Amino acid sequence: MKTVVDNLRREAARLLAGDEVKMVIGYAAGTDAARTTPCFATTPEQAALLTWGPLCANNLVKYLLDYRFEDTRLAVVVKGCDSRAVNRLLQDLQFPRQRLVVLGVPCGGQLDRASILSEIPPGARLQDIEDTGEDLVLVTDKGRLSFPKDRFLMDKCYRCETNMPVVADFLAGEPVPSPAREGFEHTAEVDGMEALDIADKSSFWDNEFSRCLRCTACRNACPACSCKECVFEQAVPGWQQSGIIGSKVNSLPENAVFHLIRMFHVTGRCVDCGECERVCPVGIPLRLLYRKVLKDARILYGAGTPGMSTETVSPLSEFRPDDPEEFM
Amino acid sequence: MPRIGVFVCWCGSNIGGVIDCPKLAADAGELPGVVLSTEYKYMCSEPGQNSIIQAIRDHRLDRVVVASCSPRLHEETFRKTLARAGLNPYLFEMANIREHCTWVHNKEPEKAQVKSLALVSRAVAKANLLEPLFPSSIPMTKRCLVIGGGIAGIQAALDVADAGHEVILVEKEPTIGGNMVKLDKTFPTLDCSACISTPKMVSVSTHPNITLYTYSEVAGVDGYIGNFEVTIRRKASYVDHSECTGCGDCQTKCPTKVPSEFNLGLSTRKAIYIPFPQAVPNKPVIDAANCRYFTTGKCKVCQKICTTEAIDYEQQDTVITEKVGAIVVATGYQLFDWAAAYGEYGYGRYPDVVTGMHFERLVNAAGPTGGKIQRPSDQSEPKTVVFIKCVGSRDPAKGKEYCSRACCMYTAKHAHQVLEKIPGANVYIFYIDVRTPGKGYEEFYQRTISDGAVYVRGRVSKIYQMGDKLVVRGSDTLLGRPVEVEADMVVLASAMVSSSGIQDVARMVSVQVDKDGWLQEAHPKLRPVETHTGGVFVAGSCQGPKDIPDTVAQASAAAAKVCGLLSREELATDPMISTVNQAICTGCGLCVPACPYQAVELKTITERIPGHAPRERTVADVNSGLCQGCGACNVACRPGAMQVKGFTNDELVAEVDAICL
Ligand SMILES: Cc1cc2nc3c(=O)[nH]c(=O)nc-3n(C[C@H](O)[C@H](O)[C@H](O)COP(=O)(O)OP(=O)(O)OC[C@H]3O[C@@H](n4cnc5c(N)ncnc54)[C@H](O)[C@@H]3O)c2cc1C
Ligand code: SF4
Ligand code: SF4
Ligand code: SF4
Ligand code: SF4
Repeated sequence: MKTVVDNLRREAARLLAGDEVKMVIGYAAGTDAARTTPCFATTPEQAALLTWGPLCANNLVKYLLDYRFEDTRLAVVVKGCDSRAVNRLLQDLQFPRQRLVVLGVPCGGQLDRASILSEIPPGARLQDIEDTGEDLVLVTDKGRLSFPKDRFLMDKCYRCETNMPVVADFLAGEPVPSPAREGFEHTAEVDGMEALDIADKSSFWDNEFSRCLRCTACRNACPACSCKECVFEQAVPGWQQSGIIGSKVNSLPENAVFHLIRMFHVTGRCVDCGECERVCPVGIPLRLLYRKVLKDARILYGAGTPGMSTETVSPLSEFRPDDPEEFM
Repeated sequence: MPRIGVFVCWCGSNIGGVIDCPKLAADAGELPGVVLSTEYKYMCSEPGQNSIIQAIRDHRLDRVVVASCSPRLHEETFRKTLARAGLNPYLFEMANIREHCTWVHNKEPEKAQVKSLALVSRAVAKANLLEPLFPSSIPMTKRCLVIGGGIAGIQAALDVADAGHEVILVEKEPTIGGNMVKLDKTFPTLDCSACISTPKMVSVSTHPNITLYTYSEVAGVDGYIGNFEVTIRRKASYVDHSECTGCGDCQTKCPTKVPSEFNLGLSTRKAIYIPFPQAVPNKPVIDAANCRYFTTGKCKVCQKICTTEAIDYEQQDTVITEKVGAIVVATGYQLFDWAAAYGEYGYGRYPDVVTGMHFERLVNAAGPTGGKIQRPSDQSEPKTVVFIKCVGSRDPAKGKEYCSRACCMYTAKHAHQVLEKIPGANVYIFYIDVRTPGKGYEEFYQRTISDGAVYVRGRVSKIYQMGDKLVVRGSDTLLGRPVEVEADMVVLASAMVSSSGIQDVARMVSVQVDKDGWLQEAHPKLRPVETHTGGVFVAGSCQGPKDIPDTVAQASAAAAKVCGLLSREELATDPMISTVNQAICTGCGLCVPACPYQAVELKTITERIPGHAPRERTVADVNSGLCQGCGACNVACRPGAMQVKGFTNDELVAEVDAICL
């Protein structure tokens, strides 16, 4: 881990010193031991702030959009799943490849901050987290607690498809074993949801959607949401109106419209980075929704996980004479 | 606020006999924006139309809704009515309360009443948002491309050329003529096929308005109606046709023999060859795959013999581009590969089991046997000939579901020819049905029966070789018993299927291929030679199995459509096409692959934003000549930047609201 961090800092400093890039977007130590924070290094000195580890869940690729209409060259640090988002932006023509340096990091899995914090006894304060490889040691002011690392892995990491970046100009370390586990097949969770009967399925989602605050954190974190002006922010007449963000209406049907439209917008495009679900303040299982359409696109159109390459076209935005049309 | 007029049509008793039209008109009068709502017996009639014009003037209407039949029938009619009243014709909306309501709900008039009001509300809701639309115009290139030089392509090319327009005819084989020139005689009149088709072939080659590219293929089609740009690849023939006199000495001396395609392998040709004596153009090509010089590096006999020094081994494929305004696709058919599908008929192992097309060559005086019907295996004259119809046709399990249409008649023709040429011959024809819908067709069939042909109703389950006989085992379903015939020769009426390569041609000209592989016409009854792509027409058997009379009729119909198009100086484009709101467009390009007509491209614009330096950005751009207004791109566009004029998202949502809320 140490060498990866060193390599990353060295490369970032080199890029900034040589003026090859104007900024390196990476991770820096956070306000407590269980988190990191996005870091925007613009000088070789600031490169020393960069870090890397199992607490770097944020997908930093989305930040590139803030600079899409400029002409500066940027570097961004990506994990395997984040790298698919790079391809998303490239495919959506939202960032030119020549203005981008992709710094890849080998990822052994990311930890779920909430489950870590839940192990800290009341009154104790987390001071540090030590990664022994096998185990995770939570160092608190009341003593050391050791846990098997698996216990804290994010759900998406159990189902990881690529723990090494699918696109990278620079790799900060040797490949590491994938955190993916057997029994967490790509679509297993969706199968369970599909097995529910219609009424149960409906009440399941009603229950989830009714809690949505329409804060749009999910959309803001999503690398597939790159529109200059989101539909939900346009003045529209009729029933869609309540789905827009400016609307004060916040009822179940309106929330459902918001989520279902967003679902269609990311169908065939969602790179399954899991950011939407991670940032949702009320814990709505958004990935489940998007993985359902991911699965459908796979079955109907043979489409793989978007972002694995820049070659695959979203099945919903491509016309093929042999598209299935059994409904006609 | 718009001033909408609603006009409810009775359509005689079609609508008026089911619902209460005066009540519908009164209810519609309450809808938002409606200032006048009235009804009349026949809105499309002259007095009906005049009443609309009068009402527009009297009530200063600026939107019109007619509740009547399908827009397919009368949308154009009423748009013209609006135009006559001085109103933009696109400020019109139709509510279909006949096909969508009174016809289907004539047993439930109360419900029909409610539904018709819902349909009118929908139209009114949309009318509130309608905006005037204006067609633009595109220039017309007065030339036509014909792809395929069978009888369909020949006829279409001649008709268009005779009308005074330039025609480019592209044929992939070294000669034009297609399948028809291979035939011996043609039903029902039994005139000699070559005698009626070769003069037309010559007319093509000598016509001042026709440029003929044989041994060539269309490699790409860009552009749109009135303005296509076609790329044509001319395969190297290794013979300079401007020098060659067509004397044919080269093919006499060439040492390499290969099976003749024209005679379906029943004879041989040379590596340098003219496919048949009346070929057009009557100049040879070198088949490089078999030429001794090209395969071994030694020979050049043809070059030595040629007195005009026309042989050029260095010749390369050339690519040319032509600009045309219209395209006729006439790529024809080929025969179903029965050997791969019908194991019970010997998988093509028995030399004396042949197709109808082989029979045409065997019975043809200019064919490999000089017109003597002989068995391919031992050149003996067959005494008993069995014909099997519907091989691959009407057989969804092994072949195609459809009927190939020409086989009943050509089998009757073949049977007649056997009985005529071979005295004392026995002819058995296994069939499912005999279909003879055509002028003189039934009479022809009856004549074959009186000639002595034995028609057996039933399928053949097995053919096997026994000594020098072929045992044909089938059943007679009329008598309900098995039949077995010892035949000398078996002729299969194998299905017609569309030519190989049709998918590529279809993709290039953006025409759909139907489930059976034939090109899809725009409407099976009312637009049989048009396609859904403007400026592209179909002719002949590429659209579905056909005999020659139908092929020629369709080719002339396509030519008439082309002439109609080429007679115009410029074309008005339908204004109901997509447009991009550049301010919202993100430039993601997802709409580009979504368009089935390649109408969307990305372009760079310079954007000025207060307080910023001008910046360059990519946005989508719709080509108004190519866009057909299908809306596929609209759905692909997440921010809603792409909208079809006349079907905007706002309009559609207003319609849904009006019906559902
Ligand atoms: C055994 C048999 C007997 C028949 N007898 C009769 C009869 O007696 N009377 C009758 O009315 N009908 C008869 N028919 C039907 C008749 O053959 C057809 O109706 C007619 O030939 C159809 O003409 P076409 O021009 O549509 O197609 P075709 O004759 O198939 O011509 C198509 C042409 O397009 C060319 N082509 C194909 N693809 C391309 C490409 N990609 N680029 C450029 N060129 C291309 C082909 O090389 C060909 O020259 C018979 C059919 C069969 C099978
Ligand atoms: S929808 Fe969620 S999982 Fe999919 S790309 Fe967007 S943020 Fe990632
Ligand atoms: S992040 Fe969660 S609460 Fe916020 S809009 Fe998305 S689903 Fe709703
Ligand atoms: S409306 Fe249809 S034809 Fe027109 S640009 Fe969009 S996808 Fe293409
Ligand atoms: S019109 Fe829509 S789909 Fe097309 S490039 Fe613009 S934003 Fe993307």
